[in-house]
Amino acid sequence: MIELKDLTFSYLKSDGSKVSETPQLNNVNLSIGAGEFVLVCGPTGSGKSTFLKALNGLAPSFTGGVITGELKINGVNYIGSEPHEFASLVGFVNQQPENAFVGDTVIDEIVYCAEQLGLPIDQIRTSVENISEILEISDLLERPLATLSGGQQQRVAIGSALVAGQKILLLDEPTSALDLDGAAEVLRILKKLSAEQAVTVLLAEHRISRVIAEVDSVLVVHGDGSVTKGAPATQFNDSRFAPPIIELGLKLGWKPLPVSVSDASLMWNKSNTSFEQKTFFEPKAEVLKIENLEVSFGAVQAIRPISFSLFGNQITALMGENGSGKTTLCWALQGSGTKTKGSVTSFKGDTAELGSNERLEVLTMVPQRAADLLFLPTLSAELEESDRFANVQSGSTAKLFRDLAGRIDTSIHPRDLSAGQQLSLVLAIQLVKQAKIVVLDEPTRGLDYSAKHALANQLNSIRSEDRSVLIATHDIEFVAMVSDRVLVLEQGSLIIDDSPLEVLGFGKPFASQLAEITQEPGLISLEQVKL
Amino acid sequence: MPAATRAVHLLSANKTNPLSWWLAGISLAVTASLTSNVFILIAICTGSLLTIRLCRDDSPWAQSIGFYIKLAAIVVALRVLFRIIFNLGTSTKDAFLLLPSIDLNLGFGNSLRLFGPVSQEAFSFALVDGFRLAAIILAIGMANSLANPRKLLKSTPGALYEIATAISIAINLAPQLIASLGRVRRARSLRGQSKGIKAMAGIVIPVLEDTIDQSMGLAASMSARGFGRKGNRTYLQTIGARLLAFVAICLIITGSALLLFSPQNQGFPLTLLVVGIITAALSVKLSSARATITRYRKEPWRLGDLVLLVAALILVSLAFSGVFAR
Repeated sequence: MIELKDLTFSYLKSDGSKVSETPQLNNVNLSIGAGEFVLVCGPTGSGKSTFLKALNGLAPSFTGGVITGELKINGVNYIGSEPHEFASLVGFVNQQPENAFVGDTVIDEIVYCAEQLGLPIDQIRTSVENISEILEISDLLERPLATLSGGQQQRVAIGSALVAGQKILLLDEPTSALDLDGAAEVLRILKKLSAEQAVTVLLAEHRISRVIAEVDSVLVVHGDGSVTKGAPATQFNDSRFAPPIIELGLKLGWKPLPVSVSDASLMWNKSNTSFEQKTFFEPKAEVLKIENLEVSFGAVQAIRPISFSLFGNQITALMGENGSGKTTLCWALQGSGTKTKGSVTSFKGDTAELGSNERLEVLTMVPQRAADLLFLPTLSAELEESDRFANVQSGSTAKLFRDLAGRIDTSIHPRDLSAGQQLSLVLAIQLVKQAKIVVLDEPTRGLDYSAKHALANQLNSIRSEDRSVLIATHDIEFVAMVSDRVLVLEQGSLIIDDSPLEVLGFGKPFASQLAEITQEPGLISLEQVKL
Repeated sequence: MPAATRAVHLLSANKTNPLSWWLAGISLAVTASLTSNVFILIAICTGSLLTIRLCRDDSPWAQSIGFYIKLAAIVVALRVLFRIIFNLGTSTKDAFLLLPSIDLNLGFGNSLRLFGPVSQEAFSFALVDGFRLAAIILAIGMANSLANPRKLLKSTPGALYEIATAISIAINLAPQLIASLGRVRRARSLRGQSKGIKAMAGIVIPVLEDTIDQSMGLAASMSARGFGRKGNRTYLQTIGARLLAFVAICLIITGSALLLFSPQNQGFPLTLLVVGIITAALSVKLSSARATITRYRKEPWRLGDLVLLVAALILVSLAFSGVFAR
């Protein structure tokens, strides 16, 4: 189906000569069969996105750079072709479907590609019928796109990418913005497309623990230009991006490495491994008291009256489906978001009544769109400004950033960082501030596992300074690793406030993968497993 | 008021062709530019605002009206302020606002006089001028708030498709800019307030970057789905259409130039103009003849559109006939 021969892609410097470092993709040779379901992974910023975009001409057309070598689809070499020349062969779905929508209603969006390719109306009609049935969106066709859930939107985007009969589907982190159900829904559809419709699926993902059992092969973009492909269990000797299930196998020396929960379960039962009880930290002084907090937008009640407190020496996770009010709650706590009723009391008073610099002594926050906080022309300027503002020793932010994202040339523009690296930068800038409370909204999106470990260490040291951390996230594995307490929101109401064991344990509402594998009550994260 | 409710229902944004809202908005703007009657100008301002209020849906571009209101208010204020500051010779006799004048010696020519006595006539003239600009802004704002730019695309002929796409993305940009401005300002306060230029840069740069990123993302998504594909038009068709377009442009420019500069003989330039417009239509027709794009659903014309178009036509003819001129 797809054959790559000596495919090389490099970015150009502004003077028109090639970048002196190794190219993003260097002499890639591999082939992908029809109907193959391929997971594309690799460390943060390694070029997974670039690799996908190279397969339909978006790189270099929309990214700049040079591409050489051979890119054969069905035996025809398409190297150097424009994206629209790939349109009838390759469908592309990106991370945030709402930014890519051109239509208003589902049907408008789905037919767009077929219209552009000039297919006859009858053919479009049958194609829409087929594809909407496969994607289970037949009853949504007349709905405005804005009224759909994230998972539904992503399924519409997939429909739009396949409507002209494309047999190759590229997806760039399609589930990173979705909650657990939404992600599972998209994954199931992809599996169905590859198995029943013989669509070749290339899926780039960071949250791979729940994907890896479903795919036929794993393709790793290593970040040094090399790309390898093979059976799922063979590709994870680099633990920077190995998911917990593989890490468990590696830690206990299992051979062959299990990729599915049921295989891992069998091996666990045979291995008789013991584990430690999870230690949770005792909360200290109350740092934020939330009383009868209520948020409404017009007639919509986003947060129903809730009361709870945040304590020092405690990491609290805030979970819940998309649209349950997590982000709204974060902003209301921070003080600049909408607050209809109630109070959020800190040691300096209600956060809504503080000036923005005063607020920063109480609380620092990393919002979902972290890049909004970046505005200086170089990475080094951002790092220095951060040190200056936080009044910390020069180089502190840079060190923290290095811990999270690795060594990166500081003369580059922050916009040239990958999404995960930008997030790491903003995390570094915000965590270096000495605020009593740290609020993080989806802080693990686009981070590989090694960056997540680094972030966990950082949060642990913040906790040890008697500060308080609140993390709003869908990332169960991360919550299992760091949290001392879990809050769950449902439609704006606080429905659970409990120990992580009661929320993430086996048979509980958000069971972690390790809990599912081992089925041991009290075991939720890998750190507990003894050798 | 069932009649009024029915009218609103008929004209609501999602029931009308976006093209008719643009035609209505443009004709209001033309009317405003042709009149000095302050009552008519105010009527256009309030009429536009009321129409938006009643007919809009909850789409993002419908939220941009606040921006237009602010812009219109600023324009009126600036127009009056400029009249007061750059005050060119009013005698003190009929002065309405007695301000001391300042003479600036620029080192060449006459000295520049700022402020000084302002007559009521000059003041009201500036006010009317400001209201005229405000009316134009609000009329266009109405079209922009009510016409769904995405639907607009579907009503354009194939040959103009690429231009229409560029325009519709550009129109889409304004509400997007406003939305990301709000978001970035809020996010910016999380970094802490630096003073001076830096604070400004902290807002402007992320907003621009975000807007450009989003537009590029949209363009990439469109391109990946086949937008920009050159169809299977023959060489002759392409050349023919371009030639016709060139001739049409020449005829229209010559025609309008003659019409403006020699008003005594209007027959010949008018003929040129009409022939030019027909040639242009032919060129578009020829380019669209082998359209490479399928329209799965065409945007229909409904009763509401007819009402809007007739109203626009009446308004513009009245304006040209001079009924509104004082």
